[in-house]
Amino acid sequence: MADLKVHRPEPPAAQALGWRPAARSRVAAAGAPRSPRWRLVSSAAVLSVLTLAVLVVPLVVGLNQQVVDLSAAYRPPRPAHPFGTDELGRDVLLRCVYGLRVSLAVGLVAALVSTLLGTAVGAVAGAVGGWTDRLLMRVVDAVASVPHLLLGIVIVAVLRPSLSAVVVSIALTHWLSSARIVRSEILSLRARPFVDAAIVGGSSRLRIMARHLLPNVAPHVLLAATLMVPHAVWHETALSFLGLGLPPHLASIGNMINDAQRSLLTGGWWMSLAPGVVLIVATLAVSGLGGVWRDRLNPRRRSELSW
Amino acid sequence: MLSATGLYAHGVVAGYDHRRPVIDAVDLAVAGGETVGLAGPSGSGKSTLARVLALLHRPYSGTLSIDGHLVTGYRHHAARALRTRIGVLFQQPRLSVDPRMTLRRAIAEPLRAARAPDVAARVRELAELVALTPDLLDRRPHEVSDGQLQRACLARALALSPGHLICDEMTTMLDASTTAALVAVIVDYQQRVGAGVLAISHDTVLLDRWADRVLHLAPTGRLDPATGRDRGERP
Amino acid sequence: MVSADTELAVAELAVTGLSVRFTIPGARVAAVSDVSFTVCPGECLALVGESGCGKSVLAAALLGFLPANAEVAGHAILSGGGTPPLDLLTAPDRVLARTVRGRRIGLVPQSPAAHLTPVRTARAQLEETVRAHHPALRRPREHAEAVAARAGLNPSDLDRYPHELSGGMAQRVATALALVGDPWLLIADEPTTGLDRALVDALVGELRRLVDDGHAVLLITHDLAAVGRVADRIAVMYAGRLAETGPTPAVLDTPLHPYTRGLLDSLPDRAFTPVPGLPPLLTDLPAGCAFTPRCARMVPACGQRPTLADHSGHLVACHRPC
Repeated sequence: MADLKVHRPEPPAAQALGWRPAARSRVAAAGAPRSPRWRLVSSAAVLSVLTLAVLVVPLVVGLNQQVVDLSAAYRPPRPAHPFGTDELGRDVLLRCVYGLRVSLAVGLVAALVSTLLGTAVGAVAGAVGGWTDRLLMRVVDAVASVPHLLLGIVIVAVLRPSLSAVVVSIALTHWLSSARIVRSEILSLRARPFVDAAIVGGSSRLRIMARHLLPNVAPHVLLAATLMVPHAVWHETALSFLGLGLPPHLASIGNMINDAQRSLLTGGWWMSLAPGVVLIVATLAVSGLGGVWRDRLNPRRRSELSW
Repeated sequence: MLSATGLYAHGVVAGYDHRRPVIDAVDLAVAGGETVGLAGPSGSGKSTLARVLALLHRPYSGTLSIDGHLVTGYRHHAARALRTRIGVLFQQPRLSVDPRMTLRRAIAEPLRAARAPDVAARVRELAELVALTPDLLDRRPHEVSDGQLQRACLARALALSPGHLICDEMTTMLDASTTAALVAVIVDYQQRVGAGVLAISHDTVLLDRWADRVLHLAPTGRLDPATGRDRGERP
Repeated sequence: MVSADTELAVAELAVTGLSVRFTIPGARVAAVSDVSFTVCPGECLALVGESGCGKSVLAAALLGFLPANAEVAGHAILSGGGTPPLDLLTAPDRVLARTVRGRRIGLVPQSPAAHLTPVRTARAQLEETVRAHHPALRRPREHAEAVAARAGLNPSDLDRYPHELSGGMAQRVATALALVGDPWLLIADEPTTGLDRALVDALVGELRRLVDDGHAVLLITHDLAAVGRVADRIAVMYAGRLAETGPTPAVLDTPLHPYTRGLLDSLPDRAFTPVPGLPPLLTDLPAGCAFTPRCARMVPACGQRPTLADHSGHLVACHRPC
């Protein structure tokens, strides 16, 4: 056995000077948020610019001020018209802004509706369990086995192409992921003792769902809705491109790309490229933000040994 | 065995697999005012028995009566009035509290569910009982230690003044001082209200000190016939 | 059995003035403040204190597992093994991973089952560790079984998956994994939590055997009862600081710090009376002695933080020791 050493600890003054950051272990790094800062900043910046444009430009230019100037038709990109002009002489950039507004609005509403539908199904399946759960999950599997664009087209065709038909089409094909997420969250929450404590404390099923389960699931639901927006936008774009989407007076990006198809053959490349690029940039920004948020939601920030 | 106050279990068989029940033909009685200890090696089914007695797990067979009322339903199918006669404490305080609720809200939950009057005053009273300072009440579970959380769980369990308390390994994650503090609160409550306590633990030294009599649950799922302080050789 | 006697002769972990603090939004957590101790082969030092007092943070600091928002001060010099002394707090992660973790310091973590990969058998994980530490071995399987036997496991137990292992067996697998690289120092982080008395006895016996074999054990626990049977010295932590440290019989029979005395009195086989009040939150520690609000022996001098004073080998940080 070693002799006990007597330690005279350093006086506080010396202590104050000695602070340094702890060594970065791979364990600690694994627990840190995976998204680098630039992803957050760039996504937020792009999205702010687009949102600003989408909200402000129509107010400045006026809702129906899409000036038709046939003499300026089919102009390729140049300083006066950064994205060129289309067959009616309208500025493509301006049309992209209007189109993005429609696409994003439809995408947002549709994503919200589909997430709410999925949450309802997932919550019921997870909370009630038993045969209800099994039945609902088989429905999920059945819908998942059909290619969703095909299903979406069928729905729109049945309901006749219109704004509400597009929203319904997106909602009925995209509710699956949020249903699964919510169901598994609810199942894992139900197994925890705090739900048992609530039962013993006299809470009813409804109270437990409303006060305990849903609030804990809410962040996941909001995240699912955010991540769904790009999918909804693309689904609407696809439908509009096929001519089954929004009516022509609601010019979305998809409609624009559809209209620009003819011009492609005559060399008007900017009319289909510009809307496409704008859409890609917008959806990347939304996905980026959603990804950063998702990483923040589920990190193993602290190593097992930390307090 | 039906009597005015007390928790009585007779011939309870329960588990997670019909062919291999975890507890087998268990008879247990916890009268008002007494503390019954339940010891046994881990995996022997003590927690399952606790859950059955707390009306959280339906047994395969056997009868259970609480204060003379025969139990017919479990979990949400049990009458609210019957469920709230029991208070439960679990082993892991961190999983026993809703992570999004402040301690104040967590303690108030049973009171709100029962639409009790003057919730705020009662929460203050309960917090004082378990020595939780007001500034701690406004914190969330991840901002307090295990010991403080378990105190909040005890306050919550006592909120509706239950006649029976089931402590399922409640001290396993706690240090000696917090253990002694919580046991002191429970004993004090017992003496005031005449409640019966079932204390489950694998710490036989603690049970010897705390409980009036100690039962042993063998790995076979049956209760050892020997009860009382001198227990002789354990298998 | 630790390898060469020459290695043993100078092996030592000397911690001086170790402090760890975390910066969280809106607050600074002083998890460990100014802790000093030494561990040598052939002895067991128990670090005792309630949950949230900083014991596990200390272990994390020694192994380089602190999260990114942590800062450290002080030194933790690991010497021995023929290499120059290494300050664990300033060593880069590469050095710690290649030369320290598992090779000079082993970790037996809390909740062992959670630290095992659920989809691989115990044997597979043990053999993987053997291959990592002894790449030259041609038959890792035999070495793995030998290490497992030392930890008290049958070869047949090794073929189970973690969820099939009982609490005690999982603990033994974790101990075996920690011993594979033949480290001279073992840090055991709350190894007795959730174990039955019989399993605690078995684990304590194993740790004592390891110490008698020449290893050193740093036992982090709040289980005072287990400590009495295995530790040579006890260090009591309160609010991130050392309150008292000394040989086991001295600390358990004649505790000098009121907190230690209170902790011992709260044991069910002693007075079973708790220490009144609650420990302070590590985000706002008082300027003076942190135990003051709960202390029955308070004097005006307690407004000044006490330093460790030596009472013939038994150190205590108190202005009015018992």
